[in-house]
Amino acid sequence: MLRVLSHLGLCLACLIVLLPILWVLRTSLVPESLSYSTSILPAVTFENYASLFADNRFGTNYMNSIIVAAGSVILAMPLAAPTGYAFARFRTSGRAGRFAVLATQMLPPVALALPIFMLYRSLGLTNSLFGLTLVYTAINLPFLTWILMGFFEAVPRDLEGAAMTDGATAFGAFVRVVLPVAAPGIAAAAVLGFIISWNEFLFALILGGPRTATVPVALAALQTSNGVEISKVSAGVSLAILPLMLASRFIQKYLVQGLSFGSVK
Amino acid sequence: MASITLENVSKDYGSGVVGVRDMNLTIEDGEFMIFLGPSGCGKSTTLRMIAGLEDISTGRLRIGERDVTRAAPRERNVAVVFQSYALYPHMSVRQNMEFGLKMRGMAPADRAARIEAAADILGLQPYLNRRPAALSGGQRQRVALGRAMVREPDVFLMDEPLSNLDAKLRAEMRLELIKLHRRLGRTTVFVTHDQVEAMTMGDRICIMRDGNLVQVGKPLEVYANPVDTFVAQFLASPQMNLVEARLNGNAGAIELTSDILSFTLPRFLHAAFAKALGRAVIFGLRPEDIHAEPRPGAVPFEASVVAIEALGMENIAILALDQSGKRELSARLGRDFSASIGDRLTFYADVARMHLFDAETTRAFPRGRME
Repeated sequence: MLRVLSHLGLCLACLIVLLPILWVLRTSLVPESLSYSTSILPAVTFENYASLFADNRFGTNYMNSIIVAAGSVILAMPLAAPTGYAFARFRTSGRAGRFAVLATQMLPPVALALPIFMLYRSLGLTNSLFGLTLVYTAINLPFLTWILMGFFEAVPRDLEGAAMTDGATAFGAFVRVVLPVAAPGIAAAAVLGFIISWNEFLFALILGGPRTATVPVALAALQTSNGVEISKVSAGVSLAILPLMLASRFIQKYLVQGLSFGSVK
Repeated sequence: MASITLENVSKDYGSGVVGVRDMNLTIEDGEFMIFLGPSGCGKSTTLRMIAGLEDISTGRLRIGERDVTRAAPRERNVAVVFQSYALYPHMSVRQNMEFGLKMRGMAPADRAARIEAAADILGLQPYLNRRPAALSGGQRQRVALGRAMVREPDVFLMDEPLSNLDAKLRAEMRLELIKLHRRLGRTTVFVTHDQVEAMTMGDRICIMRDGNLVQVGKPLEVYANPVDTFVAQFLASPQMNLVEARLNGNAGAIELTSDILSFTLPRFLHAAFAKALGRAVIFGLRPEDIHAEPRPGAVPFEASVVAIEALGMENIAILALDQSGKRELSARLGRDFSASIGDRLTFYADVARMHLFDAETTRAFPRGRME
């Protein structure tokens, strides 16, 4: 009986959390005219999705988002991994250095927006996917460094000792042993970095143009002088959260798997 | 094959924290040397310095004729077996064993041959394709050993490799390691805090405390002649009984007096202990030198039985000497000993086997060979 009650309670809690998302999904499948209807599913149509791609170039926006989000992670990771490892293992620049990494996350992005815009304008990097990818790399780098530091700290030091007495250099031990052992953590960090870049709005708006608009910018643009096209926005939101849902599933699997199970004891 | 020489080796972590202080030691070629001591005594730090995993602050380290004080771990041709085993979790058993050989650029056929040979010796054949996570503790231990063996290093360094095993497996592995050492004949340094391992495995024991080397010697020699009360107590379980006492008299008759036990010293010990005359001393007697039956030369004393640990092959009795029960001695008695808790009985101290330490410095007055 207690089991049934607790399951009922949990189902209710899930429903409360999931309801807004389910309602967005529902609205994306309902014609615009019926979008504010109180019935659960008055009619089903894929018109909103089709129109999003046909009339609003959402495919381009989607591809832009994938390029800048994945690109920023690919650029940041090879720098963040050795940096995080150095902070985790050695007394590199002491506590001040670690704090400096964290301090970069304390600055509100809007404080950086204007200087970066001025810089980018003079370098001709505005309205370019490469420029946006670079900004996201800079945003991701300290964040990924911080996250990876924790993962590297959890890798038993003896593993490096074993690799080094087995004939590897310190860097060799890092590449051949530490990185593979920390791979689940690196994958999880990569997904988190991807999500941050995917959701970023401010820089995408300021530095981008119609050609380089990403998904968040495109969704904001659906608010027109004719009002908000709520069904279309819902379709866009549903598509925008799709990679995040897949990514979250991915991190969960790797985070739970643990770091170095079986290597010690 | 190589000897290991430490010359004034120290490890200073800065801000007053010293791991190892001015250590001088030569480990002979092919010797099985035990580093024994309590946690934090510097034994693992010394091992890691020999391996190159820890910098040497001052002093020199030689392996064979080569000065390796500043050499990288890979240049020393040593193999380490870690307490945690430190197996590469993303590699199979075979790949774990192969890693060091690959790093040294050995041909695949030779690598395979060495792995096969080691796997045969260690009984790892059925597990070669498994990952460490799919192995039991004992099997992982063997893989760690195999990984070190295939390299055929000059020196084996083992950092408490048996401490994660259960008692039965530990006893088995102890024997296997001894056999393996005889077979390979490589210089081996074995760190442990287990006295049984120290007594049974090593050619010599090096006892450390607070970063200092306290005593080096063959196990039975150290057991018979501990240099101070620390070694006397650390090297056995139950520990040596220590009682504060005083030596009085003259060269003709030396009397040891304490508030619980007083007797005249056997004549053959006079020469050794004459220096302690008139001084505050600590009288030491091992639990196995207390008996329940009279013995020639043994000094009788009365004591109450406080507790008995019946181990089957023997009985460890805790004896209270005075009414308060504060003065306790432990005695290793035969398996036939039987008494009830609280019984007041006469026991016999075989004082011919006594040890004597300076109460101030805790250093031993050397007594020479045991009779």
